[in-house]
Amino acid sequence: MNWNALLPELVLSIGILLVFTLEILMKERHQRTLSLVAFLVLVASAFSVFFVNYPARTLFDGFSVDGYNLLAKFLMIAVTGLVLISSYDYFSKKGSPYGEIPYLYLIALLGFMVMISSENLAIVFVGLELASITMYILVGLFRREYLSKEGAFKYLVIGTTGTSMFVLGSALVYGSTGTITLSAKNTGDPIFALGVLFLISALALKVSAVPFHFWTPDAYEGAPTPTTSFLATVPKIGVYFLFVKLTIYLFSTLPSWKVVLAVIAVASMFYGNLMAYVQRSVKRLLAYSSIAHAGYFTVALTSVDRVLISALLFYVVAYAVATLGAFTVLSVLEKKEGWTHSFTDFKGLFREHPVLASMLALFLFALIGIPPMAVFVGKLAIFMGLVKIEMFPLAVLFALASVISAGYYIKVIVYMFLHDKERGYGGVEVSAGESLTLVVTCFGVILLGLFPGTLIGLLLRFL
Amino acid sequence: MEHLVSLIIFLPLITAGAVALVRQETFAKVASVAVSGLVLVLSLFLFVSFDFSRGGFQYVTKVEWIPNLGISYHLGVDGMSISLIVMTALLFFAVFVWSWRIEDRPVLYTALFLMLETACLGVFSALDFFLFYIFWEGMLIPMYFIIGFWGHERKVYAANKFFLYTFFGSLFLLLGFAAVIIYGYVETGRITFDYMEHLQMGYPVWLQKVAFLLFGLGFAVKIPMWPVHTWLPDAHVEAPTAGSVILAGVLLKMGTYGFVRFSLPLFPEASEFFIPLIFVLSIIAIIYAAMMAIAQTHIKRLIAYSSISHMGIVTLGTFAMDKDALNGAIYMMIAHGLSSAALFFAAGFIYDRIHSYNMDDLGGLARYIPNFATVFMISGLASIGLPGLAGFIAEFLVLLGTFKAHPVWAFIAGTGMILGAAYFLYMYKKTMLEEETITDDRRAKWKTLKDLEVHHFIPFVTILAVAFIMGLYPSPFVKIFTHTARMVLGGEL
Repeated sequence: MNWNALLPELVLSIGILLVFTLEILMKERHQRTLSLVAFLVLVASAFSVFFVNYPARTLFDGFSVDGYNLLAKFLMIAVTGLVLISSYDYFSKKGSPYGEIPYLYLIALLGFMVMISSENLAIVFVGLELASITMYILVGLFRREYLSKEGAFKYLVIGTTGTSMFVLGSALVYGSTGTITLSAKNTGDPIFALGVLFLISALALKVSAVPFHFWTPDAYEGAPTPTTSFLATVPKIGVYFLFVKLTIYLFSTLPSWKVVLAVIAVASMFYGNLMAYVQRSVKRLLAYSSIAHAGYFTVALTSVDRVLISALLFYVVAYAVATLGAFTVLSVLEKKEGWTHSFTDFKGLFREHPVLASMLALFLFALIGIPPMAVFVGKLAIFMGLVKIEMFPLAVLFALASVISAGYYIKVIVYMFLHDKERGYGGVEVSAGESLTLVVTCFGVILLGLFPGTLIGLLLRFL
Repeated sequence: MEHLVSLIIFLPLITAGAVALVRQETFAKVASVAVSGLVLVLSLFLFVSFDFSRGGFQYVTKVEWIPNLGISYHLGVDGMSISLIVMTALLFFAVFVWSWRIEDRPVLYTALFLMLETACLGVFSALDFFLFYIFWEGMLIPMYFIIGFWGHERKVYAANKFFLYTFFGSLFLLLGFAAVIIYGYVETGRITFDYMEHLQMGYPVWLQKVAFLLFGLGFAVKIPMWPVHTWLPDAHVEAPTAGSVILAGVLLKMGTYGFVRFSLPLFPEASEFFIPLIFVLSIIAIIYAAMMAIAQTHIKRLIAYSSISHMGIVTLGTFAMDKDALNGAIYMMIAHGLSSAALFFAAGFIYDRIHSYNMDDLGGLARYIPNFATVFMISGLASIGLPGLAGFIAEFLVLLGTFKAHPVWAFIAGTGMILGAAYFLYMYKKTMLEEETITDDRRAKWKTLKDLEVHHFIPFVTILAVAFIMGLYPSPFVKIFTHTARMVLGGEL
């Protein structure tokens, strides 16, 4: 048994137990302290990533570590840490300082970390399900609010469908090939093809790609905003790292996989971008932007090409940083009494909160793809990849979708900067944790754009 | 010397940061004028110490930036770019002096214009696709807010239209960059964003055609060429004076600069192939925009259409594939930068005094503000190409060069220029003359008008002086631009 390979997961699990015990022992609701402890656990876990010897295998070859999934783990831990540290003030202001919240985030993260590392469809399922069930709870945390319950319920029903599709797909692949390792060979059997289609659908559902996106707007809107920022970032990173791995091993053995993924991708980008225009709430708008981005990412899976895939993963990370920043600004604003995220609430925000409004504008400009912010490099890299595999039509569609998307991001900026204030909500205090997250994401999104070489180099090396 | 280019580019950006931190009105205004003046002096220094007898790029800085992607911080200037840099520095200096009296959020205003200056100067000196694109898009955000914050009634509509059109073009430009970079990667096994290396690559014709169209779409929106020009009149009408000046004087030149810098030398066969297309679009722009200009009653809209018309002359000269015509096109970029800036200053002055851009609200002003009437006339004559001013040399060279190979096109374009004289003189008549038609109460109002003040006078004088110098003594400038034309079209040194 190679314990070293499991180091980050072990640290995290021990930490979860620690936070869990502390939560039971503490009489009062000490959510802030618990968040801090959980944050330290994440720091320790992120630190321990550097002490893992790779490549290595353990748990009867069901669990493997290499540079690729260590990188994914590190990124997910970092993002979770930023979500967690920015959340405590929000929950206490919203009157739901449940002590369970910090370790629920950790458990969801643990699920994704296990999922990423596994070489075996069964263990992938275990990780995915651990993360999913935790996220259903996280979405429904506002027990007294209808929207939160509705979002959680939809997410539960549709998410469970997704995981069942994943199990069914794995079963069909097993039935056809006799193995559930990721490197199962195509038998030319229609059952195998059906199984792979189920697996693709399940993953598409988890990344909220069309036509499996229905849960996304409601879950994003209903969830407490820090949870939304978790939902929009960590699962995207985790599932796309897995999606890439499965595409390389499994999906690409199917003759028509390109068409399936291309259709999903194009449908998601246009559906997400067009639907975003009719939204009245900025939070919901960002949910549709997430659907559109699922399309941008999936378009890069239409070929097994190192340039394209590293572009995709870079893009996912850049998107995660920008989106995390945007949702953090929203959660700061939501602490105001009566704030609903509707466009009218954002009127004249720049006059009232110049720094917060400028930061949100920075993240939105980043999501549009304006240099020097990181998403621009992602777009350029995906263009380059698509040109390399000679998929010009997809590249042009991607460019058109990006142009369409600029309009609704700009709309938010127009409301913040160019409209006059209609009603005041009073001031809002930015907690220490929130400022940390905002500063890190601001610098992150610019530095990743100006110096993308390090991350792209790592991705290219590990692929 | 090499570091001076970087200094010129980033000095405004650093000042913008300082202005935003200090948040003090006087500091913002003094700093912006001082720094833009310093940038102007430094760029003039670079201009006079430029060695025009030697080909290629000078003051080259090349530092590795993102080595594993072949991206470097690569700056360098040739005859065309150093001239455009001087013009940009001059116009920004003029704009900051002009804005001395601005009252609405002066700190933010100054900071945005300083950021814009960095982006504009960067575009004209970047020799790396990545760096170029960052500067190219870097102007988008400041300009968007300049129109959006300080514009007139329909500012939000105009700002959004400007943003979306330009962004649309830019994404195709980005796709074009991706295409040529990947071609280089597939051919040589190495990713490089370096302009100089791509110059040596010699793309196959199919790639040239595809990339020409992608690049061309990006540049055409910015120029703007017919039929993607519709954002420009709206943007100009709604933009504040200084925004219009920079938009017409500098931002439009980015597109034509891109054609000369990238499309011609990188895709020579495709450029040859697409000559008819470009010519048709240019002629339509020249004639159609000039006729649209005649029909306007809004001064700024009229000048905006005249800009489209003049940019048609630039694209015509660029793709005539002749050294004289290309010289003329580059000459036109500078000449139009100066004359349109002066005209927009004039329109802005009228608005400051009378709060209207509509010709119906004006008339008979020449008697009451004579100094202004004089500089307005000179600006207009510079724009329509009166001999002795820069525009004439430019138009003459373009027509001369185009006539050699394409006499019919040159003839049609020539008629367009007559229309140019018509719309300007018409506008002048409606605003400055026709004193007898105005009502008495308006006349009483005119009597109290204040003529040009110092902060109006300095921009006009500096800009028009350069226009006179370039019109009266063109040979050194032609020599400077030939420096670029040689490199772009090949041929004798």
